[in-house]
Amino acid sequence: MKLAEDEVRAIADEARLSLTGEELAKAVRYMNNFLDMVDRFKELDLKSVEPFCFAEATECPLRDDVPAAFDNIREILTDRVEGDSLFRVPRIVGEA
Amino acid sequence: MDIYELSARDIALGVRDKKFSAVEAFDSCLSRLSACEGKIAALITRTAERGREQAKAIDALIAKKEDVGPLGGVPTVLKDNMCARGIRTTAGSRILGDWEPPYSATVWDLLQNAGATLLGKANMDEFAMGNTTGTSAFGPTANPCDITRVPGGSSGGSAAAVSAGYSPFALGSDTGGSIRQPASYCGIYGFKPTYGLVSRYGLIAYGSSLDQIGPFARDMEDLALVMSVLARHDPKDSTSVPGKNFDFTLKEGAVKGKKIALVKDFKDFTLDSPIADAMKRVSDILEKEGALITEVSLPTVARYAVACYYAIAASEAHTNLARYDGVRYGYRVSDEGMNLKESFEKVRSEGFGVEVKSRIIAGTCLTEPVRSEEYYVAATRVRTLIASEFTLAFKGADCILQPVTPSLPEKIGFVDDDATKGYESDLYTLPVNMAGLPGLSFFTGYAADSGLPVGLQLVGPRWSDATLLNIGFELQKILGRPKIANGGI
Repeated sequence: MKLAEDEVRAIADEARLSLTGEELAKAVRYMNNFLDMVDRFKELDLKSVEPFCFAEATECPLRDDVPAAFDNIREILTDRVEGDSLFRVPRIVGEA
Repeated sequence: MDIYELSARDIALGVRDKKFSAVEAFDSCLSRLSACEGKIAALITRTAERGREQAKAIDALIAKKEDVGPLGGVPTVLKDNMCARGIRTTAGSRILGDWEPPYSATVWDLLQNAGATLLGKANMDEFAMGNTTGTSAFGPTANPCDITRVPGGSSGGSAAAVSAGYSPFALGSDTGGSIRQPASYCGIYGFKPTYGLVSRYGLIAYGSSLDQIGPFARDMEDLALVMSVLARHDPKDSTSVPGKNFDFTLKEGAVKGKKIALVKDFKDFTLDSPIADAMKRVSDILEKEGALITEVSLPTVARYAVACYYAIAASEAHTNLARYDGVRYGYRVSDEGMNLKESFEKVRSEGFGVEVKSRIIAGTCLTEPVRSEEYYVAATRVRTLIASEFTLAFKGADCILQPVTPSLPEKIGFVDDDATKGYESDLYTLPVNMAGLPGLSFFTGYAADSGLPVGLQLVGPRWSDATLLNIGFELQKILGRPKIANGGI
């Protein structure tokens, strides 16, 4: 086994996921099968190979930085605004 | 013949020529939907009221003798990971709750400008992660050709809607085969365009370097018509490539003189016999029509593409899905008595399903500083080898003929204990996304024993989209078109 339960739990914690005992057992199996699959990369000599990039990435021009009218601010806020144009967010003051 | 049985072209023509109204076309499709939906469950959200208003607006324009666009009055369905302003958009997940996007995806703007009307938003695997539509938080969709079987995925709802005759075309998205595989399973045509040809603005992201929107249709002419509407440069999508203006008018004689390759390294892999038979039959047809059948070698693709794809897709998914924290939109929990981290964890743990959580964990693991060079960065280098291998292959061939899947659709509910084994069935589709290539999934006929549809795939070099559609058009003339599936009724 490459990853033990506590390691997978720590990774899930980093991803802001809490897992039940059953979910954790499944995640351990899944992750170890997944790592077996990607361990195939070790058969290849990749030192001189560049990471992938679409050639066209250089052909995609950035937009000109021009101010534009934004016509639906009210709609964007509708989902979360409560009361008088306030966002309700989880408590963060006092958090470590 | 009912209106819902017509092609998109014939519906648009009928509406334009006032043989029937756009409202009548919409209601015909809606009736078909209502008759089948109890068995198929292709849609997450129906938009009957809004769609009928769109249809009325089309009829009003026609009464004033105004142009209504090439899809004027044609009903359609969007996969539910494409934003449509003011319409609930879920990506097949609980985590977006009842979120209604305040903007529309560029593809939906283009379709509306071309006159299309919306029947609904289609079911899909959660965040497009799956190949059965079974990971949807809204339950599975059934295959209209055999309702005990999966329609494929992740765009299974869109494929099922077209196959069952809800609409003559629909949109899906394809990150590793999610248009081509369900098209094949549901007995229709599906096209994954070259990455960068169709805007992804307003598509809820899964793997951003792999995701691509494309159409489903019941014939090649409709597929080409929809592509002619969708293929536009979009300044709102930084990966949309400008200056690629294609003529998608289908032309005769596309096969003659083409070099069409089979992949040597796929020969040892087992195929269900109807798929192996279809490969032989279509290869013979192409040769008879004047193509030169040749072979290409893709050894890196055959051995490493599945691992490479899942490493990259999971890594990108983990980043893209980090935004779902319940603060700005979507699913929210009561956070009374919780600290911030607990609140995020509760939202994400309740909001995401098992497959999505698994892939987020995998992506987090592969991109951690201690492992990223060994796995994520290595995967991006393997991807370079895969793309280079395709480039080399296309020096000796105009396109590749290959299966879409090794087998016909499974029964609903079939689960492999090792999820990563199920990933192997994506070998024929996902390399196409890794290299940003176009891929056409086309209907070849029905299996003699089961009656299930059998599809195959043509893959071409980047920007060969029109060539693939033309070859598909030639094949359709010989192989025939699919019939509308009975949809379980």
